[in-house]
Amino acid sequence: MIVLQTKGLKKYYGKGESLVKALDGVNISIEQGTMSAIVGTSGSGKSTLLNMLGGLDRPTEGTITIEGKDISTLKDESLTIFRRRKIGFIFQAFNLVPVLNVYENIVLPIELDGETVDEAHIEEIIKVLGLESKRNSMPNQLSGGQQQRVAIARALATKPAIVLADEPTGNLDSKTSQDVLSLLKVTGQKFNQTIVMITHNESIAQMADRIIRIEDGRIQKRGERDA
Amino acid sequence: MSLFRTNDTLERLNQILDDTMNGTFEESRYDESQLSRLESKWMRYLTASHRSLRKVEEERASIKELVTDISHQTKTPLSNIILYSQLLQEQVQDEDSKKLVTQIHLQSEKLQFLIQALIKTSRLESGTFQLQPQENEVFPMICDIIRESEKKAGAKGITIANQVDEAMTASFDKKWTAEALFNILDNAVKYSPPGSQVKITAESYEMYATIKITDKGQGIGEEEIPRIFGRFYRGEDAHLEEGIGIGLYLSRQIIEAQSGYITVRSQLGKGSEFQVYLLR
Repeated sequence: MIVLQTKGLKKYYGKGESLVKALDGVNISIEQGTMSAIVGTSGSGKSTLLNMLGGLDRPTEGTITIEGKDISTLKDESLTIFRRRKIGFIFQAFNLVPVLNVYENIVLPIELDGETVDEAHIEEIIKVLGLESKRNSMPNQLSGGQQQRVAIARALATKPAIVLADEPTGNLDSKTSQDVLSLLKVTGQKFNQTIVMITHNESIAQMADRIIRIEDGRIQKRGERDA
Repeated sequence: MSLFRTNDTLERLNQILDDTMNGTFEESRYDESQLSRLESKWMRYLTASHRSLRKVEEERASIKELVTDISHQTKTPLSNIILYSQLLQEQVQDEDSKKLVTQIHLQSEKLQFLIQALIKTSRLESGTFQLQPQENEVFPMICDIIRESEKKAGAKGITIANQVDEAMTASFDKKWTAEALFNILDNAVKYSPPGSQVKITAESYEMYATIKITDKGQGIGEEEIPRIFGRFYRGEDAHLEEGIGIGLYLSRQIIEAQSGYITVRSQLGKGSEFQVYLLR
């Protein structure tokens, strides 16, 4: 089952002489339950692509379909709500809310949506990510790796259609990176989540089921590996 | 005003259910209303259940594949073992070795039968085999299974009487039903005393045709009857006889797969009567 698909995705900035083609006709399809890595040098367009996939930015041309819904047709307000319900984000800078403790951070997106918290699901996530003892800690009491684990938990809490991770280990040392990535992969499999991750690190990309290479706003070649 | 809104909401809910049944459900909007939240949640639920359904199908397919692999991969080495034990049987001279070789040969054949039977039952259970019941004559099938049993019966001086009406027909899958009946007949021969008679009769009712196999064997205790169709069940007094206890289980699977059933009547010491009901 294809959960995410783009067709002829383009994003141009500027005009005439200064026209920048950040994305120039990107077609990708992502299978439900897989982990994909988008790899490219800086300036290749990978962040632009992730922003498009997450509905954070609108394309100049082309469509993005998530669970059968073309999100480029949604109005701003609807898009915000769509994002909140369907997409889990993990950022390089963790972006935890400093005045909320670990548990409150994790359930924040659910409460923002006015939903009741599925306690059993949250407990399982907390357990799988090894955060049981940190439940009541504040973000500033946690190490970088722990903070990113909380961010992963938050991204999974709403059972989103896809999880988008933008350089999830960019702020972590290499040992912690490995830890966090393994957890991301394992939790993705456990909760049957589709994960799309951006990285410029080849060895991190090797953890994914599939690597999408992007160069000058175009997909280069597809490398597929067995999971 | 609020009545209108309630009506609208109910109409939308109705629409959601209709769309779901048609497999065309889509979220209509993304806003802060309860209804939009409900749609999102419903979508999440549908995707999850769709997913687990697919997972079950995948698992089933992989089990089928495994069974096919097992049957395929064990066939050749097992045939070779049987072949070589046969060759050895012809070569060996002294009596002790001969006994051992005979045992090897017997056990290999038993293993082959067991694997075949297990594969058949697993395929019947998983629905890989589709039985195709058709209007068929009963008599020729009975002749076939008697021919198959004759050697064993002859060795014990048992006669098998075919008293089936030649014109009688019923709806069944020829190959598989023959196998089911053969298993029952084989049991009857196995547990009958030497020199006795096994009788096969048939009768037509309005809905069903029945085939009855009657023996004068040791019979089956009342408390044992419900268990004889279980997999790997062997009668308490049956340990002296060859067998692995899968024949009747397979028979019942086959008959039930074509909407028929099997009944048993038995008296200890007097004999048993297996009756197979097939749709006409």
